[in-house]
Amino acid sequence: MNCTPVRWLAALLLATASSFAQAQAAEAVSESSVKAAFLYKFAGYVEWPRTDFHGPEAPFVIGVMRDDAVAAELQKLVPGRSVNGHPVVVRRMKPGEALRDLHILLIGGDDPDRAAIRSAQQQGVLVVTESPLGLAAGGAINFMVVDERVGFEVSVEAAQRSGHRISSRLLAVARRVVQRGE
Amino acid sequence: MMLRRLRTSISQKIMLLVLVTTASALLLSAAGLVMYDLRAYERQWTADLNLQAEILARASAPALSFDDRKTAEKDLSLIRVRPEVLAAAIYTEHGRLFATYVKQGEPPQSFPLRPEVDGHRIEGDEIVIFRRVVENGEPLGTVYMRARYLPWARLLDYLAILGVVMLASLALSSLVFGWLQRGVTAPILEVARVAREVMTRRDYGLRARKTSEDEIGELVDAFNGMLAELGRRAEALREADRRKDEFLATLAHELRNPLAPLRNAVEILRTPEAAPDMRNRALDMMERQLRQMVRLVDDLLDVSRITTGKLAVRRAVFDLREAARDAIETVRPFIDSRRHELEVRMSEEPLAVDGDRARLGQVLGNLLHNAAKYTEPGGRITLAVGREGPDAVVRVRDTGIGLDERSLASIFDMFVQVDRSLTRSQAGLGVGLTLARRLVALHDGTITAYSEGLGRGSEFIVRLPLASASGLPEVPTTNVTAARNDRPRRILLADDNVDFATSLAAVLERSGHEVRVAHDGAEALRAVENFRPEFAFLDIGMPKVHGYELARRLRDNPQTADCVLVAVTGWGQEDDRRRAREAGFDRHLVKPVDPVDIESIVAGA
Repeated sequence: MNCTPVRWLAALLLATASSFAQAQAAEAVSESSVKAAFLYKFAGYVEWPRTDFHGPEAPFVIGVMRDDAVAAELQKLVPGRSVNGHPVVVRRMKPGEALRDLHILLIGGDDPDRAAIRSAQQQGVLVVTESPLGLAAGGAINFMVVDERVGFEVSVEAAQRSGHRISSRLLAVARRVVQRGE
Repeated sequence: MMLRRLRTSISQKIMLLVLVTTASALLLSAAGLVMYDLRAYERQWTADLNLQAEILARASAPALSFDDRKTAEKDLSLIRVRPEVLAAAIYTEHGRLFATYVKQGEPPQSFPLRPEVDGHRIEGDEIVIFRRVVENGEPLGTVYMRARYLPWARLLDYLAILGVVMLASLALSSLVFGWLQRGVTAPILEVARVAREVMTRRDYGLRARKTSEDEIGELVDAFNGMLAELGRRAEALREADRRKDEFLATLAHELRNPLAPLRNAVEILRTPEAAPDMRNRALDMMERQLRQMVRLVDDLLDVSRITTGKLAVRRAVFDLREAARDAIETVRPFIDSRRHELEVRMSEEPLAVDGDRARLGQVLGNLLHNAAKYTEPGGRITLAVGREGPDAVVRVRDTGIGLDERSLASIFDMFVQVDRSLTRSQAGLGVGLTLARRLVALHDGTITAYSEGLGRGSEFIVRLPLASASGLPEVPTTNVTAARNDRPRRILLADDNVDFATSLAAVLERSGHEVRVAHDGAEALRAVENFRPEFAFLDIGMPKVHGYELARRLRDNPQTADCVLVAVTGWGQEDDRRRAREAGFDRHLVKPVDPVDIESIVAGA
């Protein structure tokens, strides 16, 4: 009973500290979660070749390479969601890992791996990057942050190379659309 | 004033009818049309706006998905091509305003804080729509739109159009009415005008002008036909009136004529020194003139019976030759006096006819009398009675003045006389042939006149259907005298006409009968006390006690119960005869009474 004020003060300090931590986390998580949500939403504006699926129950697979934050956000996001009736599955990828069954591959890092991009494209995977050099490196969609808001740019030609057609509605909201490779 | 004209003029009524019909038909159809259109307008406008919102929702889905306000506002701004849309907005999934649009020139709008559920509602003259944005089954946000909703402006447009159409159709109706006026009302008004004129001027020669061959034309024709008929009838009435006037003049003359010779004869008889043969001539003359007057009055009575339709015949089967003989006997003195030669060709066999012997005798007598009258003295008259097929036929031919065609057509009409140049003493009343035709018609027969022309004589033919001869009585005529019983009788005469009663009493007393005279009912009752009459001739219209009452009292009195009661009246209708029978009378005589009838009743009782 006599120690109550001390404990009360401690609780107060703890609450203040945790709310500060939360605010910091929200700032940090915001960009990743937005990217994760965008990544999932891109699927709705792309025409997927039928041959990409092994039956109606086959999953829609989103691979994430070199960006654990986005992968974690995605994994929180996808349960219960689907693309064209296929349940969405997230897979963390390591460089050099086989790209079989992937539909979308996010390659993180400021310096995109051109070899990985080319390999993914050859296997019909839509490549998304998050580097100012993304499209130049051959990515179809590249995240960019302007004025602290997440946006994206699209290369129609790159998407075509991996066998995808991007909806004009998606192009309408892209910051930049590149028709031909740079 | 207007109301008065509406009441009176048919054209105004039709005009009103046409206008009211047109206007109400227009208004009704317009009301239906407007109601339908307003409903359709609302449905179509909301469907249109919903489609707009749907397109906007689809278009803004990527912008919402990827948090792109600029694109969203660009999408929204496309709405400016629909000027009816005042404002629009897009809300995020969490209900925050994402992008807005306000029509250029409109004041800054305040948008709802939170989006509402899908649907539209009408707020005054605006319509508000909310539409959720859904992509891949995921809700992304809501589209909001606010637009003008102005059915009343549309209604005003309609009213303006209706007004114009109304004016045009009323003008058209007026044109149609004008045509109607010429084709329908004008002829009717013309008929009305002529009718009015005919009424005021009494000129039946007026005619309405016919302008068309349709029903209106028929109406005009019928109206003109009726006018013609009216004119004919008015003329016929005038003609009948004229004939009646002539008849009255003739009648007065005819009745006055015998009076002068009668007075002269009375003067002669009153003169003591008059020679016996002179007295006899005077008496003969008196009898002739009297017979003439009785004939006249009889004819008059028959005329009144014809005009009241109460001419009756008493039918029995008899030999038509007897009626012919009666007629010859009656007219013979007149024929002889005109020195005519009478040839009679009578059938050998009896001609049974069911009818009134006296009446048919009257008809044949009439024809013979006419033949004698309208033939110059010394002429030749032929009477032929025979059988032709199923008919008994009597032909009366003369060598007299004949008849022209016009006279042949009208000779049987009442009061018509062919030759107005005849001396008045021969004229007669002009009712004989009318009477003859009516009587023959009552016997189901016909009477026709033929003549080859003026001055070439004429022939009248009476045809009567033959009855079976078995009904004929066996030669009854000879028995009448045999049955006579001439023994003296006690006779009561009651009549308020003193001259008639006294003179008749004198005649009967000369025949050996005992006669009492009374001049009223009470006197008659006193007279029977110790007289016990066997016959009583009672006038009906007597003072104090009238005839019916008198008859009843005599029947009740044991002294006179067996007395033969004879009613003597001026009324011979069936109703009068019935009343007399009910009062207890045995016989019924119609004035003027022939003393011969009374003698035969007394003798034949």
